[in-house]
Amino acid sequence: MILLKKLSVKVVLVILIFFLCVSCYSVRIVSTKGAPMPPEEFERDDWYRDKMVVEIDTIIKAGITVDDITFRVLKADCETGKLFSVEYKNTFGGSLLYLVTFGKKRKVKLKYVCMKPEN
Amino acid sequence: MATTTVFNKTEWDTLHKNGPFPLKQLYITRLEGKANLPSTIDRYNDVALEIQRLMQDSKAHNEGFRAYGSRWSMSSIAHQHDRVHQNNLMNLDINIFPVDVHPQSIYDASNLYFFQCGNTIKEISQKLEEHGKSLKTTGASNGQTIAGCISTGVHGSALDVGAVQDYVVGLNLIIGPRPEDIIYLERQSKPATNNAFAQKLNARVIRDDGLFNAALVGLGSFGFIHGIALEAEDLFLLKRYVKKIDKQVALQLSKTMDFKNSTVIIPGEVDAQGKPLRPYHYKVFMNPYTNDKEYVVEVMYKKPYQLPYPDPFSTIQKSIYKDLIYLLIKISEKFPASIPWFIKRLETQILPAVNEETIGTLYETFWDAAYQGPAFACSVGIDAKDSVKALEVISKMTKKEGPIPGIFAMRFVKQSEATLAFTKFPITCMLEIDGILWNKSQSLMSLEDYGKRMIEVLQEHHIPFTLHWGKNAKWAFPNLVNHMYGDQAKIWKKYRSSLLSEDMAKLFSNDFLDTIGLSDFDQEPF
Repeated sequence: MILLKKLSVKVVLVILIFFLCVSCYSVRIVSTKGAPMPPEEFERDDWYRDKMVVEIDTIIKAGITVDDITFRVLKADCETGKLFSVEYKNTFGGSLLYLVTFGKKRKVKLKYVCMKPEN
Repeated sequence: MATTTVFNKTEWDTLHKNGPFPLKQLYITRLEGKANLPSTIDRYNDVALEIQRLMQDSKAHNEGFRAYGSRWSMSSIAHQHDRVHQNNLMNLDINIFPVDVHPQSIYDASNLYFFQCGNTIKEISQKLEEHGKSLKTTGASNGQTIAGCISTGVHGSALDVGAVQDYVVGLNLIIGPRPEDIIYLERQSKPATNNAFAQKLNARVIRDDGLFNAALVGLGSFGFIHGIALEAEDLFLLKRYVKKIDKQVALQLSKTMDFKNSTVIIPGEVDAQGKPLRPYHYKVFMNPYTNDKEYVVEVMYKKPYQLPYPDPFSTIQKSIYKDLIYLLIKISEKFPASIPWFIKRLETQILPAVNEETIGTLYETFWDAAYQGPAFACSVGIDAKDSVKALEVISKMTKKEGPIPGIFAMRFVKQSEATLAFTKFPITCMLEIDGILWNKSQSLMSLEDYGKRMIEVLQEHHIPFTLHWGKNAKWAFPNLVNHMYGDQAKIWKKYRSSLLSEDMAKLFSNDFLDTIGLSDFDQEPF
């Protein structure tokens, strides 16, 4: 009986890990025009290595009546105010949070790169 | 006033992580805003003064100073252990009007454009497109700055066009901190702009073919390249085909460049007699670890620009997990025999899709190359006539003494007039080995050893060769530059010493130049 219990815990854990893994993915939209803003230093080891990327990882509290949410690209992080790429990441935790709070809490994971100034 | 941000550093690296290299200070200069200084010429001249101030400071501290663009080079050519300057925010463009053109110019005024050093190939292409113009050729991608391209000899596979430096018609160099150290250099035999244009840039004019050709592929050591005048051409389209053709036919074409009498016929790409047309671009891909009877080739034909044409970009682009690549490399370091198997499995990811056909402008065809992890690239230049022999001996060495995690390709480039252009043969075949950077292990040779063996094998077989300045090689190989360029290397040094003062020649040198023996100052240049 104890063995069966231990086994079922393991199975649940494996299933949970599986769902956590497959429920986490990202999609990136990239402009075919313009050039990305270069970073001051190469610190990353991913697609953004040669780009200055802004990351947003937050939970937005929304009322039950709130439909869409707009993020404004601010001057401090984005000199040109024009976007070169935007990446949206969907996570299992984020979807779960949305469900259990009936949409009141919305997890947002975004990465964006601005255009290089044209001078 | 242009402003420079100073970063105190201990190390610096390339885009593809071929370092790290030691560094003291990194400078990034931003132009004065348009609102404060609306005139483009004023902003250009304003930032020139800022660069001179930085040079003066480096000189006063007896330290080196080197400009770089996008850090795409895999060799240490862009590195200076004291101070480096990142140019990529210096991206102005200045109009060249008919009134600016030299009376003896052979160029159509509408094809002349002037760009500041930090403009990337992508930015320049977009700016030219607004005028219905195009660059004549680029590298395989578009992220390099124009100054970086010409300093290292970036090329595509335009067999009758040349490399990026071959359409440059003027150079605005800053060779020191004094007012007279801003110069505008052109060929005496082919002037493009008049003295009044140079005066707008506060530059003194030098017209000298030898000096211009030496400075053209200047390895970042002929001063600070502030601006570049280039000859563009009318916007054109490239019709691109990817085919699998008989290996012997692909190699014969590589050796002879005789497309007219080839058996490879692409419907629609023939002359009135039904003979194949000579393509704009020809590239051959090879997996050195398989005995394929057919090779994948990429062929492009130049077409007039006309709308509409289908969008050459695919909407969705997928890439494999980088962690998977790292895992494969770790396995390869332990079990090198697995490399050919991995390469075969990844072939579809690495090579272009067979029977693919696209049409687009030059800029759309050689588009963005996303960073995909630490990478290496070795690239040797040989006369196209020697391409088959060179491929054979290097492949044999790679299989026997390797394997290494890379795949081969051959591109073809017309001869350059630049003194130290590695595209020095009538048509140079650039034999490239590209792949994932690996660490030496007990059973896997190092990249440096591989580079050394490449040189030795070519020398043993008496194949004249050059090496791509921006790629990996055993640069410390004894007498390497003299072997590759002979008297041309001495001429290059003489011209450099005639242009720069001794202290500025030292300031613009770096470890790479010391290693290859090109940093010495000639007290009696000419």
